[in-house]
Amino acid sequence: MKWFDAVTEGSARHLARRLSRRGLLGSLGTALVGAAALPLLPVARGAEPRASALPAQADPGDPKTCEYWRHCAIDGFLCSCCGGSQHSCPPGTEPSAITWIGTCHNPGDGRDYIVSYNDCCGKSTCGRCLCNRNENDKPLYIPFQSNDYNWCAGSQAGIAYHCSTSRIVGFVK
Amino acid sequence: MGCIKWPRIGLITTALASCAASAWAQLPNEPATVEMLPQQPGPHWLWVNDIAFFNFADGKAVLVDGDAGKPLGMLSTGVGFNGVVIPSKADVIYSPETYYSRGTRGTRTDVVTIYDAAGLRPVAEIEIPPKRSSNMPMVSAAALTDDDRFLLIYNFTPAQSVTVVDARGRKFAGEIETAGCALVYPTGARSFFSICGDGSLLAVTLNEAGGLAGSTRTAELFDGMKDPLTEKGVRSGDTWLFASFEGTIYPIQSRAQGIQLAEKWSLFSSPERAGRWRTGGLQHLALHRGSNRLYALVHQGGPETHKDPGTEIWVYDLASRRKVQQIPVHNKTGSIQVSQDSKPLLYASFIESNVLDIYDASSGQYLRSIDSIAQSPTILVTP
Repeated sequence: MKWFDAVTEGSARHLARRLSRRGLLGSLGTALVGAAALPLLPVARGAEPRASALPAQADPGDPKTCEYWRHCAIDGFLCSCCGGSQHSCPPGTEPSAITWIGTCHNPGDGRDYIVSYNDCCGKSTCGRCLCNRNENDKPLYIPFQSNDYNWCAGSQAGIAYHCSTSRIVGFVK
Repeated sequence: MGCIKWPRIGLITTALASCAASAWAQLPNEPATVEMLPQQPGPHWLWVNDIAFFNFADGKAVLVDGDAGKPLGMLSTGVGFNGVVIPSKADVIYSPETYYSRGTRGTRTDVVTIYDAAGLRPVAEIEIPPKRSSNMPMVSAAALTDDDRFLLIYNFTPAQSVTVVDARGRKFAGEIETAGCALVYPTGARSFFSICGDGSLLAVTLNEAGGLAGSTRTAELFDGMKDPLTEKGVRSGDTWLFASFEGTIYPIQSRAQGIQLAEKWSLFSSPERAGRWRTGGLQHLALHRGSNRLYALVHQGGPETHKDPGTEIWVYDLASRRKVQQIPVHNKTGSIQVSQDSKPLLYASFIESNVLDIYDASSGQYLRSIDSIAQSPTILVTP
């Protein structure tokens, strides 16, 4: 898969440059370019450390609802309704290694966060809390901004899709 | 006859049996049989593909008779199912499928299953690399070349490539890398294009063995960040028509000199744009080639509503590019399709509903619905 890594990183950097040039998500574009060296974005790795607990006012809303702010570009069953949480997979499933990202506005602190929608894989569909929101969603030919892919394709568990998380992986300055 | 009297409950069976025996001859014994379909599909048959989103390993494709308003049969098509592909002769059905040795886990095997169109039974199976893209179903995830010789299947692992299957020889022919570009849009007997993230198209030519003969990238034809082209195109002869999120039609022509973008035009007038009309849904365009009419599924909504279900189907004369009809939908609609005969039917479904609605495509009149046709109906394919 080495050639794929090179291709993805190359195209991501190219796109990040385009984003930056065109002033769309300008600061995110900068973040992407920087992240490529770290390496973090554009496709967040699923095996990063878990998020620490946050005070409720900093992360307002119910992760079991489609209206929860992090779900601005999600498409699937909410893991919070399936034995997991907004940033963890249910027991016995495997997070997708790479995935698509969205940029969502947190009403709690007024910041825009980069959210990684890692799918949880290896079992049949959870079937609870189906949610589809498409803020900044793009067609399949822009994969890392498309919520129409089953990102379990990139997991060892295979394409059996169970649910989707919405992990914070950065914020837009 | 005096036998139609309601006895006490305990005597109903005996009473009815003796009554029937006195009125009619005994019913004959019946052998166990299996229905067979005609060799050729009817003009109003439709495949409703079902990703079975609540039972992801149990995809289906249901064959429907739009006139009778009833299902004719079904295929069982595995994990994360996209859709069937029908050759012009319609004597077989090609179905790219994925299976795991333990249902949802174990060894993954991808195959193209070939079904006999009359019996709906698998008659052959071609193993392909386990790379078939799993995504919200799209018609352009798999397609036949114009002479039905090669079946092209989009792969996403997430590396992007296209599997080529020799449909005539019933064997895997090869794989073509399409880095940065997605899906398959046939343009001839040995050619197709894919759409690329930078707004260009990758034009691929095949050799007689199904291998790569050559490929070129066009210039950037659209802005995938500002107003992306949806990947849900329809084809009329040498032209593929795509709608952008904002409702601009991009005619992509395949000519001897190569692939080119013809004059763009908008589905919506200025007042309609001000009224926030736009296209939306999973399969939001359909084409009736005989009348040269384009059917577009539309709704009123702002940005980011490109997947919202439609409330109306607007019909355009492609020659004049004028809207000629507005059809309010009977139920929420995310996918539309039109039969290609001279008295066409218009089909409509929505992934979050199990109903198929059927309209007269010429008059727009709602005709009938079929309940419980699929769990999560996705793309509608006419054989």
